[in-house]
Amino acid sequence: MRAMTTRTALAAALLAAIATGATAAGAEIPRRPEQLVFPPLAFPVPDAGAMRVTLANGLPVYLVEDRSLPLVEVDVIFRGGQYLEPEGKEGLAQLTARVWRNGGAGDLDARRFDEAVDDLGAKLTTEIGPATGRVHLDLLARDAGRGLDLLRDLLLAPRFDPARLAAARAELLADLRSRNDDPADVEDREWSRLVYGERYWLNRLPTEGSLGAIRREDVAGFERRLADPSAMVAAVSGDFERAAMLARLDATLGSLPRGGVALPPVPQPTGTAPPGVYLVDVPGASQGRVSIGHLGARRPLADEFALKVAADIAGGPGFQAWMLSRIRSEEGLAYAAYADFTVGSLYPGDFRASFQSKSSTCARAALMTTELLAKLRTGAVTDAELRMSRNSFAAALLRLFETRFQAAARFAQDEIEGRDHAYWSGYADRMAAVTAPAVGAAAKAHIRPGEYIVLVVGDVAEILKGGADHPEARLDHLGPLTRVPPRDPRTLLPAAR
Amino acid sequence: MKIRRAAIVATWLLSVAAAQAQQVAVRQEVLGNGLRLLLVERHGAPLVSCGWTARTGSVDEAPGLTGVSHLLEHLMFKGTRTIGTRDFAREERLLAEEDRLQAAIEGEYSLLRDRLRRGEIAGDVHDPANATPELAQARAQLARLAADEHALVVRDEFDRIYAAEGASDLDAYTTQDQTAYVVTLPANKLELWFWLESDRLAAPVFREFEAERAVVLEERRMRTESTPTGLLDEEFDAMFWAGSPYSHPVVGWPGDLDSITREQAATYFARRYAPNNVTAVVVGDFVSAGALDLARRYFGRLQGGRSAPSEAATSAPPRRSARRMTAEADTNPQVTIRFRAVPLGHRDAPAFQLLADLLDRRTGRLYPALVETRKVAVGEPAATFDPLRHDGSFEVTAEVAEGRSPDDLERAVLDELARLAAEPVGDRELERAKHLETADAIRQLRSGDELLRRLMLDDAVDSWPLINEFPRRIAAVAPGDIRRVAAGYLAPERRCVAVYLRRGDSAAVAPAAGGER
Repeated sequence: MRAMTTRTALAAALLAAIATGATAAGAEIPRRPEQLVFPPLAFPVPDAGAMRVTLANGLPVYLVEDRSLPLVEVDVIFRGGQYLEPEGKEGLAQLTARVWRNGGAGDLDARRFDEAVDDLGAKLTTEIGPATGRVHLDLLARDAGRGLDLLRDLLLAPRFDPARLAAARAELLADLRSRNDDPADVEDREWSRLVYGERYWLNRLPTEGSLGAIRREDVAGFERRLADPSAMVAAVSGDFERAAMLARLDATLGSLPRGGVALPPVPQPTGTAPPGVYLVDVPGASQGRVSIGHLGARRPLADEFALKVAADIAGGPGFQAWMLSRIRSEEGLAYAAYADFTVGSLYPGDFRASFQSKSSTCARAALMTTELLAKLRTGAVTDAELRMSRNSFAAALLRLFETRFQAAARFAQDEIEGRDHAYWSGYADRMAAVTAPAVGAAAKAHIRPGEYIVLVVGDVAEILKGGADHPEARLDHLGPLTRVPPRDPRTLLPAAR
Repeated sequence: MKIRRAAIVATWLLSVAAAQAQQVAVRQEVLGNGLRLLLVERHGAPLVSCGWTARTGSVDEAPGLTGVSHLLEHLMFKGTRTIGTRDFAREERLLAEEDRLQAAIEGEYSLLRDRLRRGEIAGDVHDPANATPELAQARAQLARLAADEHALVVRDEFDRIYAAEGASDLDAYTTQDQTAYVVTLPANKLELWFWLESDRLAAPVFREFEAERAVVLEERRMRTESTPTGLLDEEFDAMFWAGSPYSHPVVGWPGDLDSITREQAATYFARRYAPNNVTAVVVGDFVSAGALDLARRYFGRLQGGRSAPSEAATSAPPRRSARRMTAEADTNPQVTIRFRAVPLGHRDAPAFQLLADLLDRRTGRLYPALVETRKVAVGEPAATFDPLRHDGSFEVTAEVAEGRSPDDLERAVLDELARLAAEPVGDRELERAKHLETADAIRQLRSGDELLRRLMLDDAVDSWPLINEFPRRIAAVAPGDIRRVAAGYLAPERRCVAVYLRRGDSAAVAPAAGGER
């Protein structure tokens, strides 16, 4: 394996870690793990400013060498996405993402473009999400020049081959037909409709009609709006010499012309459903899927870190979290039970506590969940719980910046979403400052039982029967029951089963 | 939703190891008790990814005990004589009492099975409606004991200790061939891993057994019973592997999960988790000499009987006729054609991997033939080589285009396989597949966690030097090898086919379902 360069911000952390890596030999084994003594560990977050350069056309690039493996990785991240789809053309973002990559570019038709990418053993993908998207290139360093030329062609001169457009449309139509097959998909879809409102752009989903209405010009126009260096940021990392790569990038990504038409802001949700219990029937399902929560929040949020800790203590992925410990370890009612409060940058996230359990115990586990959340709002958090949660977030920070490409891509995404890099350099301090009262206050301010939407997907008759051993556990304790009709997968209109 | 721990990896895509130019520098040490230690220093972020694997999985399970490997994996998080208890001396007495009651309960079930055979009761012996008064009494007593034990348990203490020290991705998984336990830690906490893992290998206590059995049953409901094709996939696997120790699901048959006892789990642990059947791996920012000291001090204390070698001495008889399963499910119509292949360490494994690459992706042979020319499939057909320790499989899966029949799709796939058996592949095609393997092999070295899992897998299923050896074997594959493998293993009469039709739509494609059975 090659030696690692010591020219970047990680170097200090690297040296500290080497110095502290070895442990005294010949020591006894302590009786309990708490008696172990660990050397200190320093981890400065990489310096975003030192990575950032600007290409000739104004495109910002987070550029960093990583000589540890003979690879190069490139992300081109852009603003825009599903929220820009015109009414009646739902699915345009997904269709564009596919045929952009699959439809050929520059001098190469679709098949030859695919072969050119695969001949390099490269991965080249396009993805258009709700409000941002990205083009990703990952290949051997020796092929970087050829790969960047292909990337430039894809951004500058995609061909949208009509046969590949037809194939992509057929794929999306097949996806529509199976959109009700997995109860987990039904749960996600109905959850979003209830929380953000049926008319919110996030819930305007493709139908047979809308996919049929999309023309090749629509796809080309959509791509042109997104692939505009004025709303784009790139991240490049790998086995290269920085100055040489910068010149290479100027000749490729730096040659993209600026369109300069500003994108409209992302609309905010207004139509959340009234609180209550919403039931989607899947007759014969052996397990019910339950989600409890409401709309989340948007950055900047003063108490974001306290809120993160609160959600983690109640519903984090560790088994010490209240939901897993109570619902899974103690009662054996579920395999998975989690809660998360997401804070969005461009539009609000959601607060969602969820689990899956056999029909007879869904109501009981749902009531347990709301009790645990009520306890969280009182701030009844122990010092040990606080420490565990803060430490796991501090360690998660290490993982987020495990490779230099991850750091560069993170900074690029932040710039697109308008998040300050100081968020990461101040992360450890803000996390360390979170106190138990602050956790309680944040939970109380942001988790609002009066607004709970409870979504239950499963065999409704069995779930409502509950368990013979706990007749007191009833779903209607959580609010009025509303039955959500099944939807025709092709139109998403309510349909009789 | 993020699901951690106990992920059952039923199938996996082989992505080969490092390219020739990219050797992974592994330091191997074998401790006096037989435990193998693999160390890979990488001084990037201040993290260490640590794991150990026991070379045991569902393939080593006897009939009646299916699922015990995976259940045991769950129980390994329940603590030890030190971790997870307020007073182990008292708890030990309660656990012994529980085991005695459990034996009495098993005796009652045995009587119930006799009655079931004679037709005196119906359904399932575990149905409460069938319980005898003795059984009901014993179960009630067991529940009281569990409640007493409950008061002595420090719940999830193992996880709490790791979490307090900033562990991430604490996880475990069970496959047909291995059971593995992994975690990533800040680099200064490596000793904590040695402490906790050597403790649970030395003296695990399988407490809260009944609650964990219930969790595993929920996991089965979630992964197998509540997914559109989970139960059918399980049935197809059983048909495909008929006569082989790979024929039962990793999670186990529900009847076995209902009846496995703690003593059976403990016996399995003693047989399969001795140090000479364990490989421990550390990847990341540490110094080997220090890690080796820690390994000798902590893992060196493990006493071991010797584990029995993996027992799958039997294998399924060769296939003499094609087999087929047609079923309805809530899914788009799809066809899977599967053949017996070879184990990971077999000399034909690299050719099989390249064969999959030659068919896969839009630049492979299936997409242009099935989707563009014959228009029998929608989406990208997938070709997968899934090598195991004692055996392997190779399959092609594709979704049927609307208005076309599964028979048309199956025929088109068989035509492409026949072409590979009859004509040598082109040089450019083969080079493309090899280039992809080379790049993938290097890509998988990026993440410490991924490299850790790869080393454990290679060592559990074959031996770890494969990570550096496999790329050489890939490079050496010639067009003639591809042709020989396609002709030798993928003959149509050896295929096993699953056809899934959309529930309720079968009338529309009924003629297609009437092929050979």
